[in-house]
Amino acid sequence: MWSFVLKRVMAMLVTLFFASIIIFGFIHLIPGDPIYVMLGDMATPDQAEKLRHSLGLDQPIIFQYLQWAGRALGGDLGRSIFYQAPVMSAIADGAETSLLLASITMIWILLIGVPIGIIAAMRHGSLLDQALSGAAMLLASVPTFWVGLYLILIFAAWLGWLPSSGYPSIFDDGGLANLRYLLLPSLTLAAPNAALILRLTRASMLDVSREDYVRTARAKGIRPWQVVTRHIFRNALLAVVSAFGFTFAALLSEAVVTETVFALPGIGRLVVQSILNRDYPVIQGIVLVVVVIYLVTNLIVDISYRLLDPRVQLQ
Amino acid sequence: MTSGLRRLLRGAAAMAAAFMMVPHADAAGGTMRYAAVSEPAPLDMMLTTAGVSLVVGMHIFEALYTLDSHFEPQPMLAEGEKIEDGGKTIIIALRQGVHFHNGKEMTSEDVVASMNRWAKYGVRGKLLFVEGATVEASGKYEITIKLPQPNGAWKNLLGHLEGGAAIYPSEIADKATDQPIEQADYIGTGPYKFKEWRPNRYIEVERFDGYNARTEPGDGYAGKREALFDAIQFIPVPDVGTRVSGIQAGDYDYAETISGDLYDQLSADPSVAIRMSGAPLFGLFFTNSKEGILKDNYKLRQAIQMALGKDEMLRVSFGPEALWKAQGSIFPEGNFWYSTTGIEPYNQHDPVKAKALAAEAGYDGTPIRLLTSTNYQTHYDQATVAVKQLAEAGINVQLIVVDWATLLKMRAEPTQWDMFITHHGGPPDPILITFLNSGYPGWWASPEIEQLKKEFTGTADLNERKAVWEKIQTLFYQQVPAIKVGDAYSYDLMSPKLQGVGPQIFWPTFWNVSLK
Repeated sequence: MWSFVLKRVMAMLVTLFFASIIIFGFIHLIPGDPIYVMLGDMATPDQAEKLRHSLGLDQPIIFQYLQWAGRALGGDLGRSIFYQAPVMSAIADGAETSLLLASITMIWILLIGVPIGIIAAMRHGSLLDQALSGAAMLLASVPTFWVGLYLILIFAAWLGWLPSSGYPSIFDDGGLANLRYLLLPSLTLAAPNAALILRLTRASMLDVSREDYVRTARAKGIRPWQVVTRHIFRNALLAVVSAFGFTFAALLSEAVVTETVFALPGIGRLVVQSILNRDYPVIQGIVLVVVVIYLVTNLIVDISYRLLDPRVQLQ
Repeated sequence: MTSGLRRLLRGAAAMAAAFMMVPHADAAGGTMRYAAVSEPAPLDMMLTTAGVSLVVGMHIFEALYTLDSHFEPQPMLAEGEKIEDGGKTIIIALRQGVHFHNGKEMTSEDVVASMNRWAKYGVRGKLLFVEGATVEASGKYEITIKLPQPNGAWKNLLGHLEGGAAIYPSEIADKATDQPIEQADYIGTGPYKFKEWRPNRYIEVERFDGYNARTEPGDGYAGKREALFDAIQFIPVPDVGTRVSGIQAGDYDYAETISGDLYDQLSADPSVAIRMSGAPLFGLFFTNSKEGILKDNYKLRQAIQMALGKDEMLRVSFGPEALWKAQGSIFPEGNFWYSTTGIEPYNQHDPVKAKALAAEAGYDGTPIRLLTSTNYQTHYDQATVAVKQLAEAGINVQLIVVDWATLLKMRAEPTQWDMFITHHGGPPDPILITFLNSGYPGWWASPEIEQLKKEFTGTADLNERKAVWEKIQTLFYQQVPAIKVGDAYSYDLMSPKLQGVGPQIFWPTFWNVSLK
């Protein structure tokens, strides 16, 4: 097991190295630069050239990469050109929002997607199953910005129960009660994902329930709910767990539409804003962090496979 | 029910109540919440012309002069001035007892250091501090500016904070270079002081207790400034639907730049108040005077101008007619610089005449490269209409659509484009308009305009300047360095409880403003 983890970590480092080159290369391939965004409409080419020089953006790209990679190895992702602050602190601030949002969303997905998926599978072919699957299709197809805007309209503008947008940190005034700011966004984000997990749970439950050992278990006279929980669900979980891992990683990087609609200070919006501003250090830093998150999540998923199914060999 | 259970339920109810509560600005003081379109560029007033930066910066920084509600410059940090030597020497007395946010009193040393930094690196510094111009302290509370030629626009230049001469403490101005000053150095003399900037969350300014206000009544940006809120938060809320719902829900007190399609609906909504902008923005299609097919080809430019119909462009890009006006004067009606001289070619929309002009110009169907961005939907909408209208006149357009940062980079290179689209706010003095800056992309520097510019800044007499301005406007429509689309009035949305909000000048400001 440990030699497996070690091997995987080594492979991760190699992946990371190539990823860093791709990240750096692609970002600098986008035309445009941060200079004019910073100086505004009236800047003369002369002023732009001076600022480009003092930010080091006129140096050869290889040199810029080596400087950046060297510092990144030491944990320093550089300074944001735009925010005039360390990239690490900008990412950390955004990560709080993104991680909390993704976690709460995962809870919704777990609470809605998995149980309803099981019920649909158990009542396979019935009217209830068709209704639930239909509803899931609908939720998966409605664009998130639409769901988000309607939730804001109903719960914030009309009923006034919840704040419309923004998110003050739980470390600021208000403490944990600030989590209420994340209720509507997490529901918005959960809707399509819960629908997918629901369908996945249902499908893999149905697959497993056709296995021979399930028939044997039933023939032995084991109670139906025990067959479902012990024999079918546990084995169906494998596919669901790997989907969970990817969903969580994807929620971190793909929540940008939800973050924009709800004006949340998350990673997704930070990266989009930084691309528009051509704030290279921030974009590079975030993409690097997201790559690391993906790699680590993958590793965790692989290890949890082994824990769920002892037959899986970690080689 | 056991008492333990009852206690638990009561606790849960209290927590639920806390959950449902949305914080609000109190009647007196409190925090005002401003929903901005995006985050600003760094708040170095001398270096930036970005609108969001100005909205925040206006509360922190001040200049020697500022504009009243009639767009006339009035003293702010200055006390008054003496003009000598036919306008070549300007002696400005400074107000005494004005303090920076770090507690230091403002003296001529700070003003001179700020002027020097602005002259060297400021976006608009060179417009006043031409070769040979100097500024020096002529007393603790007095500075003297010496110019090689009189400059009739000097007071407007010193009173416009956009890329303008904000007054920083000398120790900050002296060490500042071409890079924006650091956040720790956001120290000005304004009624609010910088507190913190949390990326993507907010920028917060708080009341400056040491503020020494002017005694004249508040008028536009001029006169008395009083910070009635404890703090103001400028919050980036990129989605316009969220900005609107946020005002309706009471989460924000003021939201900037609402889209035209919501105008009719929101005008009828009693839970919000609409605030029209005081000065219109106008779209400009710049033509390339340095390279390519349009260089020196005034006939072809006139053909393009002749083909375009501005009503259609404005209706498509701004919607309800209350929000736009197709008129050809560079400055809007009511403004001192408003004039209808020379504007006949403005809105002809005549494809037949355009075709004839293009033929005269020797146009052979070569595609004209029109550069636009999708970051500003109105630019893209106008470009789409223009392509269709020009096609009707037999003029081919190759539309190049990029994002704004790319456009800024591309337009700096003369070989990359023939026309590009941007917009412009009405500045306090015509000399600040971008197409009169021969270094600005487009590079309009014909001998005729250079001569007129000299005449325009060579006198301080307003009537003489107005007469020259009319000649410049006429030349603008003949040489077509840019094509004016029309005036667009943007609007903001605010809580009806906000009181003291006067007529809008350029950017909204929130001194003398409070919540009922």
